[in-house]
Amino acid sequence: MTASKVELPKKPGIPGAIIFSLVFAFVLTVVTMITVEFSLTEILTNFGRRNLVADGLFNPDFGQILSERSLSAFIETLQLAVLGTVLGGGMSMFMAYWATEFGNPIRWLRAIVRTFNNVVRSIPDLLWALLFVTAVGIGILPGLLALFFFSMAVVTKLTSDTLDGIDMGPIEAAKASGSGLISMLRTAVIPQILPSYTSFVLYGFELNLRASAVLGLVGAGGIGSRIEFFRSRGDWSEVWGLVLMFFLVVFLVERFSVTIRRRLV
Amino acid sequence: MSELSLPKKAIDWFRNITTLAIVVAVIWSLIGLEIRWERLIDLPADLFLIGTLMFGNLDIADFPNLAGAMWESISIAWVGTLIAALFAIPLSFLAAENLVGRPIAWVIRQVFNILRAVPEVILAIALIPIFGLTPLTGVLAIGIGSIGTLGKLFYEVIESIKKNPLEAADAVGANKLVRFRWGVLPQVMPEMTSFVLYRFEVNIRASAVMGLIGAGGIGNDVALALRFKDWEVAGMGLLIVILGTILVDAISGAARKRIIKGTQAKPIELAEV
Repeated sequence: MTASKVELPKKPGIPGAIIFSLVFAFVLTVVTMITVEFSLTEILTNFGRRNLVADGLFNPDFGQILSERSLSAFIETLQLAVLGTVLGGGMSMFMAYWATEFGNPIRWLRAIVRTFNNVVRSIPDLLWALLFVTAVGIGILPGLLALFFFSMAVVTKLTSDTLDGIDMGPIEAAKASGSGLISMLRTAVIPQILPSYTSFVLYGFELNLRASAVLGLVGAGGIGSRIEFFRSRGDWSEVWGLVLMFFLVVFLVERFSVTIRRRLV
Repeated sequence: MSELSLPKKAIDWFRNITTLAIVVAVIWSLIGLEIRWERLIDLPADLFLIGTLMFGNLDIADFPNLAGAMWESISIAWVGTLIAALFAIPLSFLAAENLVGRPIAWVIRQVFNILRAVPEVILAIALIPIFGLTPLTGVLAIGIGSIGTLGKLFYEVIESIKKNPLEAADAVGANKLVRFRWGVLPQVMPEMTSFVLYRFEVNIRASAVMGLIGAGGIGNDVALALRFKDWEVAGMGLLIVILGTILVDAISGAARKRIIKGTQAKPIELAEV
């Protein structure tokens, strides 16, 4: 009796899906590079040239932030971020609740809330600011409204994802023991989502803080208006001084916020 | 018989202090901001008016032009994201504590943190005098601005790889390259790819506003239309931004799901970014 020849299993080839995705990504890259007129030589020659912006970066005027007008604009930025986040985060609690099955049993109503959230989320912060500047005029209010909508959308999305995944047991238990809506939420829903919700709001705060710096570029208040002012005059030392000081503060606040978020989750 | 009493509740200092800090910050902001709250009363009416002006009589003739501008925004986001990935991948290996020493990792991480803190729009402002009002400015702003976030996501993936494949590679006497190709790469590729796509979705929004300051894309058209009260064009532009963003999100989101399905990868947590 001769042993039948054992054949090695066939080596699996590269799946068609991967080949397709690679070709797709390659074509996309080539087409998009043509669209944006990408040119490496232009990048290199432009970066190599001496320019005022870089000179300003290497010689920033840190004192500018202490000048009266810049300092008040700076504080305004921080306050905008705080208030926008608190209002947006508070509202997102309701929006997230209405976007879930147990909070909003009517299917089409839920679809409307979700679509609204998605539409709001697809508009970037600065575009919100521009829209509100158009609606209510230049000032702090459009900035606040922009941050409100922007952070509401982000926090709502994250919170409703969390709400979708909570344990339904406590809710049933609360209902079975005859609790009303408020006490059901208080005892069965909120304890389950509070740590992640708080961390989402803090995340929204970090986003808002960064966004609030640029609101002023479209006339919606804050430090951005001062940055825009110096930019239009070509005072790059002042621009960089303000930007660097602001981001030092953002950096510190973020470290603090990340620390709290770590403790919460 | 002595009466039983409930044990005293422990005081959660961390919680109390954080709550107090937040309350103080909110009150400080409420008092400090000189907001003309009475303007809010007119806001719904104003928004409705602008809404009707913008979406009341959309002209399909504006569509091709604006869709082209949106495509430019998408292109800016894609090329920018790729540039960021190109820099973030090698840097993130240098920021992973399980591959290099702690001091090097710490330095690279601080670079990531700084890059993460600066919004793309600020970078674009700085780049406009160098590159002019071209899409390339937007590309570079997004490219530089995304290195930090991508790098952070990448090194976290690299640090979470399992040792077993590396040990297996060592056991069969693999050289450095083979060890990397078969021990590290298969573990990090799916998640890294999906993070690149995720960042692409975020960057679509960033590139849509690049135009507001003149750095290419659809933002330019929308900003100009709003400034010159060309309401129909602004409305169509806004509609295209919304639809384009949601469309790209859907495609890229589906691709991400497909990529991480079947691995033990955890779903992407936006809150970690």
